[in-house]
Amino acid sequence: MDLSYQEKSILGSLLAMVVVYGYYFTAVLRDASRPEFDGVNVGRLVFAVIAIIVIEIVYHIVLALETKPEPKDERDILIESKAYRNAYFLLAAGAFLVIGCVIMAGLARDAAPTRIVVTPFITVNLVLFFMVVAELVKFLTQLFYYRRGLR
Amino acid sequence: MSKGRIRNNVRRLRFEHSEMTQQQLAERVGVTRQTVIAIEQDKYSPSLEVAFRFALVFGVPLEEVFRYEWTDSESGSAA
Repeated sequence: MDLSYQEKSILGSLLAMVVVYGYYFTAVLRDASRPEFDGVNVGRLVFAVIAIIVIEIVYHIVLALETKPEPKDERDILIESKAYRNAYFLLAAGAFLVIGCVIMAGLARDAAPTRIVVTPFITVNLVLFFMVVAELVKFLTQLFYYRRGLR
Repeated sequence: MSKGRIRNNVRRLRFEHSEMTQQQLAERVGVTRQTVIAIEQDKYSPSLEVAFRFALVFGVPLEEVFRYEWTDSESGSAA
């Protein structure tokens, strides 16, 4: 399959996000009984952020050596704007969901003693999760339009 | 129901202009080679400005490069 520089760049970023955040969220869920910002959980988060940055830099250096980078033209920008639109809807839906979770947990706690506690760690991870999913939706939308075309 | 679609003669015009490559055309118009490929395959309709630049590069009127086809989707006929 003949992929352009933009497609290779997007595909690399997509895979990096899936691998790094896939590992991160799997680890967070495995330790679901400890939903606090302790050393281990903060370490994981910092590691995930640094890993993404390092992988992206290394991958794009290798890609630039292998494939001549092309500046974005109007088609790239149009595809990107469509991708941002889809990502925005998902991020907005996620934000409402997180707000709903926090409010519901607050109401439940006030109504009766309960074990449902939305800690800052859970809130941060829910927000991060929807940010990652929105980014993945952006990448997938771009790949879709690059393959199918804008008709 | 009627539906419009933009068609083009970019591929033919390229060959009529000393078999210009997609890369050469892309550089002269100011788009990427992938965009030229997408236009030739009717997968992308460029902006009016880019369409005029294609016409300018080929030295022909705009309507010789791009044309608008009005299709009746029920009968499948094109006007």
